[in-house]
Amino acid sequence: MTDATIEAVHRKTRQRLMFTAIHLMLYFSFTLNWTRWGESLGGYLGETWLTGSLLMFVLLIVAFVALETIFLMISRWGAR
Amino acid sequence: MRRSGLNSASLVLSLLLLWSDWTLAAGALEGVSGRQAVNPIAIGMFLLFVVLTLGVTWWASKTTKSSSTFYNAGGQISGAQNGLAIAGDFMSAASFLGITGLMYVGGFDGLILSLGAFGAWPVFMFLFAKRVRNLGNFTFIDVISQRLDRDPIRLVTAFATILIVIMYLIAQMVGAGTLIQLLFGLPYEWALLLVSGLVLTYVAFGGMLATTWVQIIKAGLLLTGVTLIAALLLADSGFSFSNLLGKATANHTNGEGILRAGSIFNDPVQILTIQVSMLFGTVGLPHILMRLFTVPDMRQAKLSAYYASLFIGYFYIALLVLGFGSIAYVAGNPEFFNEQGKLIGGSNMAAIHVATAMGGDILTGFMSAVCFATILAVVAGLTLSGAAAISHDVYAEVLKKGKPDPKTELRLTRISVFLIGFAAVSLGIAFQHENIAFIATIPMVVSASVTFPILFLSLFWKDFTTRGAMYGAGVGLISSVVLIVLGPQVWVSLLGNAEALFPYDYPALFTMPASVAVMVWVSLSDRSDRGAVDRANYLRLLVRSEFGPSETELAES
Repeated sequence: MTDATIEAVHRKTRQRLMFTAIHLMLYFSFTLNWTRWGESLGGYLGETWLTGSLLMFVLLIVAFVALETIFLMISRWGAR
Repeated sequence: MRRSGLNSASLVLSLLLLWSDWTLAAGALEGVSGRQAVNPIAIGMFLLFVVLTLGVTWWASKTTKSSSTFYNAGGQISGAQNGLAIAGDFMSAASFLGITGLMYVGGFDGLILSLGAFGAWPVFMFLFAKRVRNLGNFTFIDVISQRLDRDPIRLVTAFATILIVIMYLIAQMVGAGTLIQLLFGLPYEWALLLVSGLVLTYVAFGGMLATTWVQIIKAGLLLTGVTLIAALLLADSGFSFSNLLGKATANHTNGEGILRAGSIFNDPVQILTIQVSMLFGTVGLPHILMRLFTVPDMRQAKLSAYYASLFIGYFYIALLVLGFGSIAYVAGNPEFFNEQGKLIGGSNMAAIHVATAMGGDILTGFMSAVCFATILAVVAGLTLSGAAAISHDVYAEVLKKGKPDPKTELRLTRISVFLIGFAAVSLGIAFQHENIAFIATIPMVVSASVTFPILFLSLFWKDFTTRGAMYGAGVGLISSVVLIVLGPQVWVSLLGNAEALFPYDYPALFTMPASVAVMVWVSLSDRSDRGAVDRANYLRLLVRSEFGPSETELAES
């Protein structure tokens, strides 16, 4: 095991933990909907029946998938 | 009159009962009124599914001749196939019926279950997919026992696995019996025997290969069904989701309140307890982790998790349409209510009713058959995981020190499958009239408080030791059971006390940090020789977990 190998593993570990931390922050931000800090999320978007809360739900799912896609792309570049 | 008589507490209880695979069990307990008329299309489609899956099992049985192929399908499933199978294992009938039913009752608040369930998959991919695949062979216990003292850690984690599987199975079987009774008019006991008989056939003869394909077929059918219903709902609303929401608000007693948080919950801590239990509980489920060993390499393992996320994410977005669609098209439609003004089958059946409203008997029959197929696929995955814990983790690795007779191991695996099946049917019948909400709670909380912390710390923390794992697992297990007993599900609903001693149904928000804190504290103060070995193992396994086994290790294996 060379120092370079160990440093590469530590770098990947930091990467994994960073992505997980970002994900968890986004995930738990959904709780805002049930607090007074998230009251504005209950408002409508323009003239539609869509609320900020509903948009947040969809955007979080899209953001999670996007985060995974970025993670996979970074891993692939790292492997090259 | 949909929400009349439902106070906040009962809504919370129904939410928690409705959550995940055990959701359907709730139907046995409350809210069920009447049953669906027997639908010949549903029976025909279900029989078609059975014939197809038995054919797959026959094909799989020809290649399932060793323990290795039995547990991991020979490691030859592709990432995309495994992603769909993981989705099939996870997208339960309860997700489809329960989340739609909860949205029917409370609108936006029901989405906490969707996000909670979906949120686990990125964590699964970032932390575990590659590393678990690189270190293990058949079960996640293989991974931790490479670093920690194999016998004690295998026994503790195998016990946790069997507890999770059995509790999960009881909830599944009670739910399955109730659902099949409702959808097909079959007596409860016969429904359990039918489910068990089919699952035993899939698993005992086809092993992981048959189970994988049953899950793939079921996932495909479920995704097709929800897509069809969502498309029909949107088409009927001029392809405008906003119009659909407008119809829903006009039809619900809570009006525009269903479009924002607060219809069911008003306590953010309650939301956090659900989120923590769902995310970390899902990530630590043994039968889900086991699926990572069915692919040939680490890259396919990562892709499995990615594809699973795509399929599951799509499914929950489709459920968003179905949930509000059920309010728009089922509520207020006398076709779906009995003489007492109650929804036929209770709110769990809202998803089936919306299928009827959109596609008549054909779509109802299709979705009923899909629900049945879903139960079979989930029970098959659980049974396989429980059998592997007994025959591989306990018999082959602990009793035979990793050198079992292959034929005896395979025979024992099949016997374990039958024992688990027998236990599932017996306990399903025994608990038919019991309040099983607390049984359904245990797997997720134990998974979040025992299996997840052990796996995470063994992969990511250099000072983790066997002693820390054992003490932490004990604290996680005992605190989970004690707080569930003191909580509303047992202390109030089961024991009849006026007020719970612990206010939350899902204590993982408290038990998981307690378990991790004990693991860290005991590991740091561990000065034993074994502790030194555990620490010394870390770096070698860390490198292997990231880059796979070295050429020397491959040659040795």
